[in-house]
Amino acid sequence: MRYEDISLSQLSETAWEIPRTGGMLVPGLVFASREMMEDIVRDQALRQVMNVAHLPGILFRSIGMPDIHWGYGFPIGGVAAMDVVEGVISPGGVGYDINCGVRLLRSNLEMATLRPRLPELVAALHGEVPSGVGSTGYVRLTLPEMDKVLAGGLRWAVSRGYATEGDVESVESGGTLPGADPGAVSDVAKKRGLDQLGTLGAGNHFLEIDEVAEIFWPEAAEAFGLFPGQAVFFLHSGSRGLGYQVCDDYLDVMAAYMRKHALNVPDRQLACAHIGSDEGRRYLSGLAAAANYAFTNRQLLAHQVRETVQRVLGMGPRDAGIRTVYDVGHNNAKFESHEVDGRPREVLVHRKGATRAFPPGHPELPAAYRDVGQPVFIPGDMGRGSFVLAGAPGAMRLSFGSTCHGAGRRMSRTAAKRSVRGKSVFAEMERRGILVACASLKTLAEEIPEAYKDVDAVVDVVVRAGIARRVARLSPLAVVKG
Amino acid sequence: MTRRPFRLLPHTADLRVEVRADDFPSLCAASVEALFSLLTDRRKIRRFERRTLDSGSGSPEERLLAILRQALLLFSLDRFLVREAGAMMNSGTILVTVHGEPMDGSRHSAHREIKAVTAHALAVEKGPSGFTARFILDV
Repeated sequence: MRYEDISLSQLSETAWEIPRTGGMLVPGLVFASREMMEDIVRDQALRQVMNVAHLPGILFRSIGMPDIHWGYGFPIGGVAAMDVVEGVISPGGVGYDINCGVRLLRSNLEMATLRPRLPELVAALHGEVPSGVGSTGYVRLTLPEMDKVLAGGLRWAVSRGYATEGDVESVESGGTLPGADPGAVSDVAKKRGLDQLGTLGAGNHFLEIDEVAEIFWPEAAEAFGLFPGQAVFFLHSGSRGLGYQVCDDYLDVMAAYMRKHALNVPDRQLACAHIGSDEGRRYLSGLAAAANYAFTNRQLLAHQVRETVQRVLGMGPRDAGIRTVYDVGHNNAKFESHEVDGRPREVLVHRKGATRAFPPGHPELPAAYRDVGQPVFIPGDMGRGSFVLAGAPGAMRLSFGSTCHGAGRRMSRTAAKRSVRGKSVFAEMERRGILVACASLKTLAEEIPEAYKDVDAVVDVVVRAGIARRVARLSPLAVVKG
Repeated sequence: MTRRPFRLLPHTADLRVEVRADDFPSLCAASVEALFSLLTDRRKIRRFERRTLDSGSGSPEERLLAILRQALLLFSLDRFLVREAGAMMNSGTILVTVHGEPMDGSRHSAHREIKAVTAHALAVEKGPSGFTARFILDV
């Protein structure tokens, strides 16, 4: 298959290779079906996979997931692992919303009994979980307290009574990335984050109430505490303005480093520095601090969801049973151990719009999940549902322990709004049996289900490729958006 | 100086903006106005306060990026909304003067969150009919 000057070799029903050309140091590898690939070639995503393959120290392949689409620097849905000595770290390989991610909360509640209370519950959640542009959280930090959040992550939340030890065990890396240095985060970034802790944000960030609609793998569902008909709460948010500013600040630092060391990359947004350089290490310290802020942000959102649900339903924590299944980011760069060319090596894995998906037996998994693999959550769109997956062994062989992060957009925001002109998105969602509360009607129109790829097709690819395994399907019943 | 309305170019996930103007300083000012038009209804903003943005030195793309980042920070950090912008060249740098006011929730609403002005595919071109800028906003 050929598209403009990009040639593609189909390796299997779900994998495509972009051979090395020009300055590419490794080939590209994209997971997609033939039907999906016909959509993917229409934007710049494949060219971005090729651009990433130019980065010094990249290992094995520049990888694209089936939800891949045009981003900036890296494509959204991009994965690249770097040699820690010769390789680089690129803020464009993480994105502005550092450690943006998802958290799933399970409960003891059955949808059949919760359904009559849904309108009241959604109104309460929309009122009490801050969302939308300019929203502020219920915790106001001072600068010294901000430094404690940046250094401690979820440990700070436990010390202030917003998290339990159970939460810490169920969050990627325990919700605290090592090496975080508040001194590597600018005062401007800190100021942007002072009143945003515990806020959802806007755009594609959301809080959903879902029903566990179908179980595909009972043993894993049991390990994750999921059962059919159960009400679960799904959160998607990140590091808010603090993370955006950290990325912006370090793009300038990286650009200066590249000038000084005569490094050339095909896209200004791929600005980078060697991992071991002062600039690289400083960015990694700031990145870890921003990631800790994101973990804490989702924890405070989860805390507010728990409190609100318990208050509205008049239940105590034990009866409601709202507990974290798992919390995992999809915009990050982390040091991990992977087998490369037949031998284990420490590498730095960039995931931009891609989820870590460690398989059964991985030592970083919580004990409760070690036999089934790491929980992975794939939000679809607000109309068609989402998936709970588990990391599978193929992910370690093919994608540095990574899988997709969502359905992936297929329609521009302008086209999405044009397609709903004159129609009520609220009425359409109500027709599907989904309650919607949102801060901005414009955002809602941009996020219509048709703007996204079919999540079933995306999940089908990662399952057939052997990088993840289906555990359960979730059906949305209520959505709160910024 | 003539400014033409900005337009949105196709982009799958973010906002790709094209702005045209007769000269480079006007292009910078028009780009700032385009940014705030995508954030809010500029007609509802009063001209209460003035702020100045300085491009520093560098290529036209670097100078435009510096101006747009500072403009977005006016909103992100201070909740300052821009009604209109004007620009002048000063010893090789562009000074953009903006007029506006802090956001007032009772009169202003934000259309969307703009996370950042990206450097990806940022372009400034000079043609026979003036200058054109294209930039992508992460939303």
